Amino acid sequence: MKKLSLLVVVIAVVLSGLSIVSAQDMGIDSAWWETAGAPYAGTVLHGVSESTPPSNYVKDVLAPMFEEMTGIRVDLETTSWDQMYDKAIKDMEAGSGIYDFVYIEQDIIYGYLANDYLVNQTQALAAAPELAAPEFSFDNFTTFIDYFKNADGDVFGIPMEAFVKIYLYRTDLFENPDIQAAFEAEYGYPLAPATTHEQYRQIAEFFTAYGEANDMELWGTTVQAASGHPSSFYEFFESIAPTFGVYNWGINMENWKATVANGGSMNSDTAKEALAWWLGNLPFAPPEATSSTWDEVAASFAAGRAAQGIVYGENAAWIATDPERSVVVGNVGVALPPLSEGVLAQAEADEGYIGYYDGGAFGLPVSSLNQEAALLWMQFVGLPQVQAEWAAAASRIVMEPTYSDPLVVAVDEATNGYFSLMKDEGYLFAGAPPFPFHPQVREVIAPFIYQAIGGEITAAEALDLAAAAADAELVNLGYGS
Amino acid sequence: MNINTRKVLGYAFTYAVWIIVTIVTILPVYWMFVISARSRVELFNAPNLIISSFYTQNYTNIIYDRTFQSYMLNSVIVSTGNAVLVTVLALLATYALSRYDLVGKDNIFFTTLTQRMAPPAAFLLPLFLLYTQVFAFGEGRGRWDLYDTQIGLILLYCVFNLPFAIWLLKGIIDGIPYELDEAAYVDGATTSMVIRRIILPLAAPGLAVTLILSWVFAWNEYLLAATLTNFEARTITTGLAEFVTVTGTNWGEMAAVATLTLIPSLIVVAFAQRYLVAGLTFGAVKN
Amino acid sequence: MRKTRTGWLLLAPSMIILFVVGIVPFIYVLYVGFFDWNLFSASREMNFTGVDNYRQLVFDPLFLDALWVTIRFTFFAVVSQLIIGFFLAQMLLRDFPGKSFFRTIHTIPLMIAPIAIGAIWRLLTIPGFGPVPFLLDRWFDFDFNIGTNASQAFLAIVIMDIWHWTPFVTLTMLAGLSALPVEPREAALVDGANGWQVFRYITLPQMQPVVLTVLFIRIMDGLRTVDEINMLTNGGGPGTSTRTVGIHIFRVVFPQTDYGYGSAMSLLTLYLTIVACWFLFVSLTQVRRR
Repeated sequence: MKKLSLLVVVIAVVLSGLSIVSAQDMGIDSAWWETAGAPYAGTVLHGVSESTPPSNYVKDVLAPMFEEMTGIRVDLETTSWDQMYDKAIKDMEAGSGIYDFVYIEQDIIYGYLANDYLVNQTQALAAAPELAAPEFSFDNFTTFIDYFKNADGDVFGIPMEAFVKIYLYRTDLFENPDIQAAFEAEYGYPLAPATTHEQYRQIAEFFTAYGEANDMELWGTTVQAASGHPSSFYEFFESIAPTFGVYNWGINMENWKATVANGGSMNSDTAKEALAWWLGNLPFAPPEATSSTWDEVAASFAAGRAAQGIVYGENAAWIATDPERSVVVGNVGVALPPLSEGVLAQAEADEGYIGYYDGGAFGLPVSSLNQEAALLWMQFVGLPQVQAEWAAAASRIVMEPTYSDPLVVAVDEATNGYFSLMKDEGYLFAGAPPFPFHPQVREVIAPFIYQAIGGEITAAEALDLAAAAADAELVNLGYGS
Repeated sequence: MNINTRKVLGYAFTYAVWIIVTIVTILPVYWMFVISARSRVELFNAPNLIISSFYTQNYTNIIYDRTFQSYMLNSVIVSTGNAVLVTVLALLATYALSRYDLVGKDNIFFTTLTQRMAPPAAFLLPLFLLYTQVFAFGEGRGRWDLYDTQIGLILLYCVFNLPFAIWLLKGIIDGIPYELDEAAYVDGATTSMVIRRIILPLAAPGLAVTLILSWVFAWNEYLLAATLTNFEARTITTGLAEFVTVTGTNWGEMAAVATLTLIPSLIVVAFAQRYLVAGLTFGAVKN
Repeated sequence: MRKTRTGWLLLAPSMIILFVVGIVPFIYVLYVGFFDWNLFSASREMNFTGVDNYRQLVFDPLFLDALWVTIRFTFFAVVSQLIIGFFLAQMLLRDFPGKSFFRTIHTIPLMIAPIAIGAIWRLLTIPGFGPVPFLLDRWFDFDFNIGTNASQAFLAIVIMDIWHWTPFVTLTMLAGLSALPVEPREAALVDGANGWQVFRYITLPQMQPVVLTVLFIRIMDGLRTVDEINMLTNGGGPGTSTRTVGIHIFRVVFPQTDYGYGSAMSLLTLYLTIVACWFLFVSLTQVRRR
């Protein structure tokens, strides 16, 4: 049986013409890794992650490279977010030792830390110097690694992906002189990427009308408004509400309350204005908007069906460069999202943020039976040498020097500056608020957002109901009284 | 209207109905096939039912994928194993329920059925614990447990297949005259001989249906397989879900996986068509 | 009747397996249902709360809403399947060239994985490149969008279920019809009854057990439909208009990790299903005794 599957692998590799890059080519000190890995050769590490381009790169490229050097095999299960989350916590909670490394999205790290699921990697490496790779250092990472530290500054997760959710627009449309003239004639100011919500809406209106007049399948904006799926919740609370100045989902972290009456801001007038604005974009979005989750939004944009949109950064590169999947190659511009007055100042003063700094890391469960080998693997994934190609393949950057790698610079140019924007303005964005109860409260709030998208209730009603439900669930979970 | 005209009209009506039914049945499946033949960029155009070019990469990407191959193999092993197990067990159980005066027989029968009714999500936690903690032998790295094994799934699928199978077979075995068993017993036959020589041949169409439907249900199961396997025993439906839920826009490859998943079931059904009707009586009708 | 010891022995393997993978988890769920237990609550502990979860459930609008969606969904889907299936089975009673071809094609949906069925119908109905909204718009200027319009989404899941399960009903009805004795019908026709009267007063009463059986099976399975709806409407949207109990429990147990409440919800749903099915089962047993 083993021989047969080996044969299948060999055939598959040959047929797909996949060439495995060797570690030496990347300048990795393979001698050290061979020695360090020797005691654990033959071990199989099991991991679970969401099936995303960065994870698939780990599975297809990094894992074979690591195995070739150390003899430690790495099997990574890539699956849906729900499944990944469920399987990881079932395993860690029961202590069954199935997984030796798990994907930790930035927004669930707080829950995992609170439940003591993860190994303190700083301490573990300090305690076992023979396992600490000279080429590896926690200091190589951008400040994104801070999300995976505890109060003492010890690291519990090796960052493997990070993006910002940004404003994409079609340069071919925005820079077309005829369109520019028509726009200015109608609205009285020159057409440019919107800096305010009002401008964003007017641009959306304009291009929707333009598409209709010219019999094009073109609308003014994308909206990630899947009407039964958490992605719409996230677009509103993590990408839209902050641009109006409503942070942390409107939950007051002093007393864990969401309603205005109790000191929260989830149903504040500003929050209601934000939701109403966002829902008000739907008439100017392509009809699939209310069925669009994360990547369908990117697909709509790539299909040339929207003039602008707020899109997850990991998609920026392929939309701008991959003719196999996109018809707007070379016509993609990036900008900061439109903001309410004062929000930028708050973000610059670190009192707020303008959008979502998304990402994840690999963590090592306490229940793992192969912790030494897993520690080696974690460091390998965090080596500076493997970063650039990974970044070019999956638009993720977790280390400062990666930005200046020629491969990354080329992608940056093709996207009209996505990576530059992330590098220079990234500090204005923030990860999810440090809630240990993230999916728990989300599930309680989200149905009201879904109902508002479907038009069953108004924006104001939705947020009143959502805030009340959040207050109740937080008490139920033991936060606030 | 003479007899002939009525006959012609009757035929015309029959064919009209069946042509419509066939179109309605086939179109969605055909559309899936169309999508599987298109590249991502082609999907951006207005829907077009005609396949003008075939984007084979959707298929080749999958067929040469090691993971996909092992998923497919696992599915075949799990569904076949489960179908055989269920059919054998159901035959024995149904014979017992049909021929023996067991206390609380009707309740036993209904209780087995209730197992099929439970909403599965909440039962996954106990099943996970059962498979990783209770049925675990040995310690440390040499540990073996039911989690992520084909046999684990084969046993688990009995929960929904076995009650259904017992129900299906009940009517059929009830319909076999008891006098036949009696005569054999008088001639000195053992229970095992009676089941093998009398019940088995007479219940063959019902057993075939049980085998087929169990196989299909096992082949199609998703949630249990998704939760209770991770590397070694993953089945093709979980692979399908990986394509759909995650790379949400990779419709072409997803449709290709779905098409490939469908083929084995179609082959089974094409061969077993005539048994399907003969065996699906559920004992509702006494011959 | 034979010695019961052998009977129990024959029954034993099935019962043991069902006990281990069916009843044991059931007992665990029953137990957890009496606790307040969420892995990500501040305390993380299992706190015994008696029947609090059940008390809360009776007033939980999301749960009741999901229950109502499920009941309506099952009702509309099953009634349509019965009517269409009965009609098609009647048409398959007579012989005509090509009959087995049509019947084989008709069986196809039965063989497709529910999760793939959801995906197929999503491909059909997705605004943008799905042919259904596209053609409705082009031919009738009708705006069909299951992401926005709750009743259209509900209609879509019902139609999908009809598409999926009618073949099963047809085949079962056909098996039933083929096994009916023909004498009463012939006698009635000789006595001058018309087709409708034969159907209404002879075929239908004879078919009662079959109809009840099919009802039982379809209601039982319809009430726990999850995979295909989850896939088609992306988790039960728009709003909660297609969020069935199964999907709702999934969301409570998986992402929300509310094991206590979710377990109670499962058991209450199971209980309601059993009650509904018990009535059918009892009437089925009575019909058969008659």
